[in-house]
Order: sequence, then structure tokens, then C-alpha cells
Amino acid sequence: MLQRFLYLQWKAFTCGVGFATGLAQKILLGFAWIYFAAIFASLAFVAFWGVQEELGEDPLPIISGYLLYAFAFWIVLRYFLQKMPIVHIQPLLVLPISKKRIVRFGLLKTVFSFYNISNLFFFVPFGIILIQQDYNLLGVIGWWVAIGSIILTTNFLNIMLNSVDRILIQVAVLLLALFALQYFEVFDLTTWTSPLFMAAYHQPLYSLIPLVLLGITYQWSFTHFKDKLMLDGGTIQPKAETHRGADLYWLDRFGRMAIFLRNDIRLIIRNKRARMAVWMGVGFLFYGLIFMSDIYKGSAMTVFVGIFVSGGFLFGFGQYVPSWDSSYYPLMMSQNISYKEYLTSKWWLVVVGTLAGMILSSFYVFFGWEMYFAILAGGIYNLGINAYLVLLSGAYTRVPIDLTANNKAFGDKRSFNLKTILLSIPKIIVPMFVYYVGVLIQSKSLGLILVALVGVLGFAFRNLVFGWIENIYQKEKYKTLQAYKQKNT
Amino acid sequence: MIDITSLSKIYGEQTVLDIEQLHIPTGQTFGLVGNNGAGKTTLFSLMLDLIAPTTGTITNNNAVVQKSEDWKIHTAAFLDESFLIGYLTPEEYFVFIGGLRGMKKEEVHTSLEQYTDFFHGEVLGQKKYIRDLSKGNQKKVGIVGTLLSNTPLVILDEPFANLDPTTQIRLKNLLKEEASATGKTFLISSHDLQHVTEVCDRIVVLHKGKVVRDEKTSTGTLQELEAFFREQL
Repeated sequence: MLQRFLYLQWKAFTCGVGFATGLAQKILLGFAWIYFAAIFASLAFVAFWGVQEELGEDPLPIISGYLLYAFAFWIVLRYFLQKMPIVHIQPLLVLPISKKRIVRFGLLKTVFSFYNISNLFFFVPFGIILIQQDYNLLGVIGWWVAIGSIILTTNFLNIMLNSVDRILIQVAVLLLALFALQYFEVFDLTTWTSPLFMAAYHQPLYSLIPLVLLGITYQWSFTHFKDKLMLDGGTIQPKAETHRGADLYWLDRFGRMAIFLRNDIRLIIRNKRARMAVWMGVGFLFYGLIFMSDIYKGSAMTVFVGIFVSGGFLFGFGQYVPSWDSSYYPLMMSQNISYKEYLTSKWWLVVVGTLAGMILSSFYVFFGWEMYFAILAGGIYNLGINAYLVLLSGAYTRVPIDLTANNKAFGDKRSFNLKTILLSIPKIIVPMFVYYVGVLIQSKSLGLILVALVGVLGFAFRNLVFGWIENIYQKEKYKTLQAYKQKNT
Repeated sequence: MIDITSLSKIYGEQTVLDIEQLHIPTGQTFGLVGNNGAGKTTLFSLMLDLIAPTTGTITNNNAVVQKSEDWKIHTAAFLDESFLIGYLTPEEYFVFIGGLRGMKKEEVHTSLEQYTDFFHGEVLGQKKYIRDLSKGNQKKVGIVGTLLSNTPLVILDEPFANLDPTTQIRLKNLLKEEASATGKTFLISSHDLQHVTEVCDRIVVLHKGKVVRDEKTSTGTLQELEAFFREQL
């Protein structure tokens, strides 16, 4: 049975849109894997010898203590980035396959994700070093089991987070509360977690506790999805939907563009996937807080942060133009709509989102003007340059987004994957470089001014660039239409 | 209205459409009939520039479809559910479509009144998004969307499929009325020979991508068509 499922997956991959380009990406991804594996493995060495020689302490309890942070970080990262497994259940439901099997397969698929496997690259070498250094073999195995169980627990927990909003809120509140306790030094959580994992080392039998925890989470998500494994998601009555955004006719003052803006705003408020782009924008507002420490002051990282703080929405939404409209792209292409009108509306949305980000992030002033200036410079660059660039890369992304994805057991949450992030790199490297040039010539301020100046220049060439992007959209039209037809790959 | 010259569409080895010459005059109600894979949807998609032809051209009211976008101004089409925006209510969808044709919200609502019978109380004022409507009701929305904006050319791919019997009859009347009252040109494909002969003044039969019959509708047309398709058994 498993072979048959795998066969279907393989078929979906090989018959999918642009298999050849997909292959090239897979190869690139392969290199990325090797890269990460090397990074994590070397991290293991650093973690062991670094702690032992620099701090003169036993590495195992120290690392065990910090694991809490690692797990919290993983949960957040997973929520935003991990692709949810997609099993197309509709054709499978009526075949003689038990629902248990379908669900089990879907859940199994998640186990082999990057977010689980990559941990092996750290913990396996680290454990081997421990064994080499005459740590107790059984103890290390117990420690491994405990950590592995926790990692997989977060994996299944994440699936639930993605599926049930209520749980998402609960976990978010819990994480924030723990973080606050730690931050305000009410008590040091690491002193708690260290003994927890050390217990699994000293008495391997204790590792059964997280294992049981894993079993419970697995069972929980298993029953959850088994019950939901119906085309209507198992709800007895379709939810009475409130029509948010019904009254957007005040937009009419923007003339013909209002027609498109209205739809785009409705797209965002009525579709969970599009809403995520907004949340991504809100989330990235706080991104700069991670980089508050003095090490980053004046480095090109400031610009990096500046771009992201105001650009969360820009990257989350803009990257997927025109994919947001994929389910009705033929309509858009045959109505009397010019690409210019279509793109201008999207551009405005992204611009307004970025401006909002720039204003909302003014609280960074409390941490010093330097940070906020970097955010403003990054914001101007976003407005002037990246707003085009996201639309441009959107023309090539060609991932159909199924907004009405309710016939899939696990939903379709591919909107924020690793590939998107990789695509954003050129949009970030260039301003960092520009800043660096400014710093070399004179000062940090000049660097920021240069970054902002490039953004302003981008504004000046708006019409030119729009014409250019239009041409590309036009050229890619047939391919895009073709790609969007394959909703389920 | 529409001129087709040496149009073909070839996928790999397979020729899915090959039309030497076809002229559709303004005001005609043009019926397209053929079995699955005959090339009906391919032809419509080519007319809407959704796919590129391998050879040949389509001219829609003096605009070459593959070169200029001017044809969009006077053409409305509904091929399948990808012409609907699922997260809008039918009303919002109509305002969107109408807005693209320069109609105000109020104008759209007035214009919708003439279709109340056709909707049969199942579409308007339901507070439902289009994605939550049944297939049949979605089809109604799509069809009215094309009629609403009063474009001189309307393209409908299998408008009768998925509709309940009463609505099929209503649609027939509606199309006949629209055609005679407004002088619009209609291109309609269908698997239902009876409906299509009743509505259209001209029937073209596509078979494996080629035009095999092309005639004005007369009293004998239905029998002839039935005989033709019986031969394919």
C-alpha cells in the first residue's frame, strides 16, 4: 500500500508543472542540504569543544539547557516555513483504502521533512563525540531518544497548529509567557530543562516519558485528521460566513483601480492563506528585536534587518502575484483588463503594506535612532526597488494557489516555503552591498542614505520598469495559464 | 465578427485542431458540436488567447487575437469555473465584471433584475460566496456574468451542462431573447443536440479537430445531426 502512495507522489512530481526546472531546483536543494548538514555537524563540534575549553564546563548539561530555546525556535520556524503534507484525498476516499492508512501516510510524510532530519546532523555528531569522550553509551542513547521524541512532538504539534487556530493561539500564548518569564528573570527556564534532559542521560528509562508524549501527540493528530477526512472537513454544517469586506465602495475614489483593489482586499481578508501574508508582515515587524545587540551595530546586517522589518508583507504577498489569482486567471486574461491596471493595483497594496510597516516600526526609536533609520532606509528601498522585484519574480514563480482548498485533508499551506525565502536573497544582498560601499567611502549614515537613494531612484523609473514587467507577464502568459491549470501538483 | 484562417493547434504529434477557414458574421448564434476531444474548448481557448495557436490566426472584429488586446473590449466569455472568483458573492462578482466594462454598482444591480427568473431565487441575496454555491448555480453566475456587460460577442462553453431541466429551458429562452433583441453574436458549444439546434442559427460539427459539417439550422438539422453521431458508434 505504501508503495502505491509513493507511486502517486512520484507521478505527481514527475508530471507536475515544469518537471525539468523542478529537477534543477532539486539539485540545488541537494547542495543546500549538504551545506546545512556540514554547518550543523560543525556546530556540534563547536558546541562540544567550545563549551568544554572556553567555558571549562561539561558541555552536555549546558547544551541540554539551551535545547529549550532551540525547540521554541523550531516551533516558530516550522509554523511559518514547513510545508504541510498534501494528500489528495478525494479520489482515494472511495477506493478500498482504509482512512487510517491515508492519514498515517500523510503524517509519515511530515517526519521526513528538513525540519526533522536536519536535527540529526547536529545531534548524531554531538552524541558520537560524547561517546568518544567516554560518556555513558546508554545514557547518550537515552538522551537521543528524549530529544528525538521532542523534535517529532513539535513536528506533530506544528501540524495541529496549522490546522486548528485555537491551538495556535494557546501555544503562542504559552511560548510568549515562557519567554517573558525568562526575559524578566522571574525564573531561569534553562535551569529546569537541563536537569530534564540530563535525567534521560543518567537514567535512560526516563527517555520513555518524552516518547510517550510523542505517542500522545501523534495519536492526537491522527484522530484529528481521521475525523476530518471528509470532503467537507467533517463539519456537520457549513460555517455561516460573515462577509467581511463587503463594503469597500469608498475605494471608488481611486477610479478604475478600485475595481482591482477591492478584490485584492477581499482576497486577503476572506482567504486564510492570503491572511497569512499579513501576519507575516506583522511578525517581521519584531524581527529587528533579535538583532538589537551591539554586535550588529554598523554591520551590513542592519540593512538586512531594515529590509525585513518593513518588508514582511511585501515578501509574503508580493512574491505570489499573480499566483493569488491563479484559480481565476483565465477570467483575468480574457476580460478587458490591461496588465498595467492589474499590476498597479498589486503594487499599491504592497506599497501600502510596506508604508504601514515603516510607520508601525517606529517603536524601534526606543532602541535608538540608528536602528529606526536603518528600517526607514530599508523601507524606502523596499518601496522603490523590491516592490517591483517581487512582482517580477512572481511572474516566474507560477505556483498555483488553491484558495478554496478544502478537499485536501491537510490543507495547502505552501505559500511560505523555503524557496520563497531563497528567491528573496537578491532583493537583500544588493542593498547590503550598497550600504557597505557607503560605509567604506565615508560612514554608516552615508551607507543608509545611499540605500534610500537607490530606492528613490527606483521610484523615478516606475513607468519604465512597469512597462518592462508588463512585457514579461505578457510573454509568460501562456506558460502561466498552463501552470495554473495544474492545481493539484 | 470572427475570421479564422488556417488555424491549427498541435501538441507534440497530435493535431487537436485544424481549421482551414471559418467566418462567423456579426449577429449570428453559432453552435459548436462535437464529441469529447473534438477541439471545441481548444477553439474557444484560442479565441480568448488563453493558448497560442501552432499556425494561423483568429481575427476578432479586425483585431488579430494573438497580437492585439482590443478584442477584449467587446468579448465576454465563460468557459469553466476558472472564470469565477470563488471568494466573492455573486453580487460582488457582477459588480466586478460590470465595473471592468465601466458600469456603476447601481447600474449592475438594475441590470441584474432581468435575470431574477433565471436565478430562480437561488443565487442573489444568499450571502454565500461563489465557491460555496452548487455547480449549477455557479454556472448561472458565469452565464449571467457574460450577458450582463452587454458585449457584442459572447462565448459560452457548454452552458447547458450541470443545469437543472427548468433552468435549461430558461437558458434557451434567455439566449434566444438576447440574440434577437440585442443582435449579439453568440458562440455556444454543447453536447445537447436538441438545445443547440433550438437556439443556434448555424451549427458547425467538429470531429477530431476538423470542421466536418457546417450548415444553417433548419427543421431537419436535429435528425441529421443525430444520424451523424450515430454513425460514429
